[in-house]
Amino acid sequence: MTRPQPGRHDHGGFPGLEHRKSAVIMGGAGLAVLALLTAACGGNGAGPARAVAPPPAARPSMLTSLSAGHGAAWAVLEVGGSRAAHNNFWQLLVRPAAGRAWRLATPPGVADNGGLVATSPGSPGSAGPASTAPGLVAGFVPSQDLTFSPLATSKDGGRHWAPGLLPSGLAAAASALAAGPDGRLIALTRTGVQLSGPGGTSWKALVSVRTLAASPAGRSCGLTGLTAVAFGSAGAPLLAGACSQPGVTGIFAGSGGQWRLAGPKPPAAFAGRPVTVVQLTATAPGKLTALLAGGAQDLAAAWLGDGQPWTTSALLPLGGRKLVSTAAGAGGTAGVIMTGGRAAVIRPASGSAAAAAWTALPALPAAAADLVLGPGRQVSVLAAGRTTVTTWQLSTAGTRWSPGQKLTIPVPFGSSG
Amino acid sequence: MPGMGTQLGTGNAVLIAAFRDALLHQGFLIVLVFAVLGFLLVSIREIRRPLPPRVTASTGTASTGTASPRPAAAAAPPLPRAGLGLRLRIAARRLSGGAPGEPEPRWRTVLRIGFGLLWVIDGLLQAQPAMVGLATQVIKPESAESPAWVRSIVDWGAASWTFHPVQAAAAAVWIQLGIGVWMLAVRRGRWSQAAGLAGVAWGLVVWVFGEAFGNVFAPGLSFLTGAPGAALLYVVAGALIALPARAWASARLGRWLLAGSGLFLIGMAVLQAWPGRGFWSGGSPLAGMAGEMSGTSQPRALASLEGSFGRIVAAHGFAVNLVAVIVLAAAGLGLLSARPRLVRAALLATVALCAVDWVLVQDTGVFGGLGTDPNSMIPVALLIIAACLAWTANCAAPVPAGTPAPTSTASPVYGSPAGAAVAGETAGGGEPARPRRRTWRQRLARALLTVDGRSLAAAGALGITLLGVFPLAAAATDRSADPLIALALNGPVTPENFPAKPFELTTADGRTVSLASLRGKTVLLTFLDPVCTSDCPLIAQQFRAANGLLGARSKHVELVAIAANPAYYSAAALRAFDRQEGMDQVPNWTFLTGSLPQLRKAWHDYFFSATLVPAGGMVLHSDVAYVIDRRGQVRYELNLNPGPASSATQASFASELAAAAEAAMKS
Repeated sequence: MTRPQPGRHDHGGFPGLEHRKSAVIMGGAGLAVLALLTAACGGNGAGPARAVAPPPAARPSMLTSLSAGHGAAWAVLEVGGSRAAHNNFWQLLVRPAAGRAWRLATPPGVADNGGLVATSPGSPGSAGPASTAPGLVAGFVPSQDLTFSPLATSKDGGRHWAPGLLPSGLAAAASALAAGPDGRLIALTRTGVQLSGPGGTSWKALVSVRTLAASPAGRSCGLTGLTAVAFGSAGAPLLAGACSQPGVTGIFAGSGGQWRLAGPKPPAAFAGRPVTVVQLTATAPGKLTALLAGGAQDLAAAWLGDGQPWTTSALLPLGGRKLVSTAAGAGGTAGVIMTGGRAAVIRPASGSAAAAAWTALPALPAAAADLVLGPGRQVSVLAAGRTTVTTWQLSTAGTRWSPGQKLTIPVPFGSSG
Repeated sequence: MPGMGTQLGTGNAVLIAAFRDALLHQGFLIVLVFAVLGFLLVSIREIRRPLPPRVTASTGTASTGTASPRPAAAAAPPLPRAGLGLRLRIAARRLSGGAPGEPEPRWRTVLRIGFGLLWVIDGLLQAQPAMVGLATQVIKPESAESPAWVRSIVDWGAASWTFHPVQAAAAAVWIQLGIGVWMLAVRRGRWSQAAGLAGVAWGLVVWVFGEAFGNVFAPGLSFLTGAPGAALLYVVAGALIALPARAWASARLGRWLLAGSGLFLIGMAVLQAWPGRGFWSGGSPLAGMAGEMSGTSQPRALASLEGSFGRIVAAHGFAVNLVAVIVLAAAGLGLLSARPRLVRAALLATVALCAVDWVLVQDTGVFGGLGTDPNSMIPVALLIIAACLAWTANCAAPVPAGTPAPTSTASPVYGSPAGAAVAGETAGGGEPARPRRRTWRQRLARALLTVDGRSLAAAGALGITLLGVFPLAAAATDRSADPLIALALNGPVTPENFPAKPFELTTADGRTVSLASLRGKTVLLTFLDPVCTSDCPLIAQQFRAANGLLGARSKHVELVAIAANPAYYSAAALRAFDRQEGMDQVPNWTFLTGSLPQLRKAWHDYFFSATLVPAGGMVLHSDVAYVIDRRGQVRYELNLNPGPASSATQASFASELAAAAEAAMKS
């Protein structure tokens, strides 16, 4: 490399700086480099620290169970355990009566890797013959290229199914489908609520989320979304959702196209927090059980029935845990499973007793998915593995779990997608 | 689902075989053209070659055997003994009569030969069998972390490749080989500049569509992992090669190149040092890239080296990054200083860093079957070497007045007194010949006479490049996919010749439709599950697209589907499916159902089965279609398993269906 001749090039360091054009060009190059850095740094996800956003309210889950009189019960849970979402399949298990074995009753004919919602028509909480298998209506949450929800109805506890159809897509929530005693169905879809005629046919749009949110009742709640549907007394549709306005429970009763708030006053401890209705179940005609989440911190149960106003329970602190599943039993019993293997159950207080209190259960077995609330104080848990479901029974003393039945599920891995 | 899981990956034997065939046929064509051209040109040169003069012993002058009345020829020095090529170049110089061309500067030679070789290597890499799957296996995943607008641009470009994988892959081979040979063959002049421009154009195409703008908009940008994209460096080199000759001697060029290189390295150092991007920790993207590269199929020693380096980075990420930042910054500052010692040191440091990074981080970029180029370190090193050479040339000692112009390393014909004499410039008093008007025959003859090996190579290189450009352009504008894709996924269409079994079923609105009622039309018949979540919606779209391809001829075609679910076959389910897929807007679409025994009979007659699967599975059924001609004869059977269900595969199946329908219409 030759040495520059003195006088010919008088750089003194930065070449060409004595020339304005070169300075402009190098300045431009510097700006380009800066722009490059900005673009790169803008894409690195390492932005300035933001203020921590408040945790969202507890979200409803599709994992759920319902126990009827004499121990008949059904449960919905997910098996597969595959990282690919389309390789996890939802199953419906049915127990015809307490002490009987659980069996697989998933309706055939549709891929259910998008989710499964079930409901019992009539009066699941009413007394009846011990051998009565529960009537069931199941709805498939659409997945992949399917945009509407096939339905299936069984009168013999899932041994035989009759197909039906919801022309829209069901929402993925345990209380997204409800059956009235007159054979009508109400369904929560991704955009609103649909109501059928008798037998689950002739579906019509009842109300959209947007319309309900814009109504006076919706505005006073600050409705942000719907989470559950049910039939109230006299078969009137009931809708429930998440409110952004604190101090309001978003349960709406409709009549003649008008909607009014019909939920309980939230517990005092929910003050200042938005309330979400996590589950709404009709346990008998005119009798409702609701689970309310105050922010993501606490849970409370509420009951309505027999012409009485709503009553609410004591709080169940979530302690930073998330809801895994909910359960409803005869007589208004309710239960929840939370992350960390924790669970609790509650029974409505009788008479003028103090607010009902939650009873914590012993640490759950691994992979516990559903709580099943049997007659009396029977409690069992369904634990879901990759291709198996194991039942665990709580001892009479309520101190430990004992394994029971183990079902093998023929999960159809790779059958769709 | 039978057939599900069939992939159109890089190992698809049908596509690979088609790719190889295309390369062989096109390569043979190129060789043939070269051979014919070469033969023609050699023949023409031989015919037009002037007779060599005879030198007599007594006079010492050249004589053609008769007394020459022209004193000018006797005054000219005798032609040196030279081969045919040299004599032709002499003749060319006499004809052109212009001033000697500028000698090519060393920095340009480095760029031209370096990048010419790189283009050739890239072209050869592009000929690997797996390249037919480049768009889906490399291009689209590469852009996965880029913003949506970048992905949409990449997808638009990748569509050409996915729709015509064999054509596009072969085109890329020839374009890159052509550009490389072109750069190597021609040293100067407009042809050489054009080679540079071709490099710019194709480099930009690769940078935008193949490298997603060099991933500059994706997180984790780093000089060490290839920023700002190897193709962009090819573009820069091409632009420099395309500079006109008068720019070669510009004093500013060297300064700008050196300063630009310095700024680039400093910018990369700042990027590397920027906090919060993960490079200062053990889990840095470098460790991830080294680990990933070590898993590529390659010589074991290299894989082991990669793996070791990955572990070093994982354990000492801070130190490794510190070294990289310091070297980049120091080299950049050294280049900016414009002091010879510092520039030299900076050059050495940069080349060393590039070499180490090329092996340890980028894993040379050529292994694994899908390596398209040796990545960015070699181009960076070449550009910085060229920048230093350009700066050095700019800093050469000034030439005192009256000194003859320095000779170049090029042909001795140009720029030397001997050469000028040989060229006849000093003959007859030294007046240069003035160009005169020529007829087209003379111009053609001149062109043919002046063609030598390099010119032939350049013309051939242009031809090779065009052999790739035109088919790629055609592929980019043709939005109907190559039926080869469908063939690769599901095998060929099966010709049949048997009477179609009759059926009588009902539509969703209660209308009865029988096969007999469709006589006179070509029927595309399939079986669809109305509550299917994957295959059946895709097959419906294939039918719809095929109908579109048939255009006006679709009025002679009926698209018929029979419900294929033993549980869900109600009219409501069919209506819901039609609405979902938009098939209710297709006038010649008919979705049929009936009682379960009627459906089972139709399934049986057409060798179709639909089985309920427990525990939440979709109904198990095959994906098949039949083409029935207007006389009721089954002519073709097609396997319609959608495979990866990309837009390309869908379009390919639609092309296949439409082609089968047209063939049946003609029979």
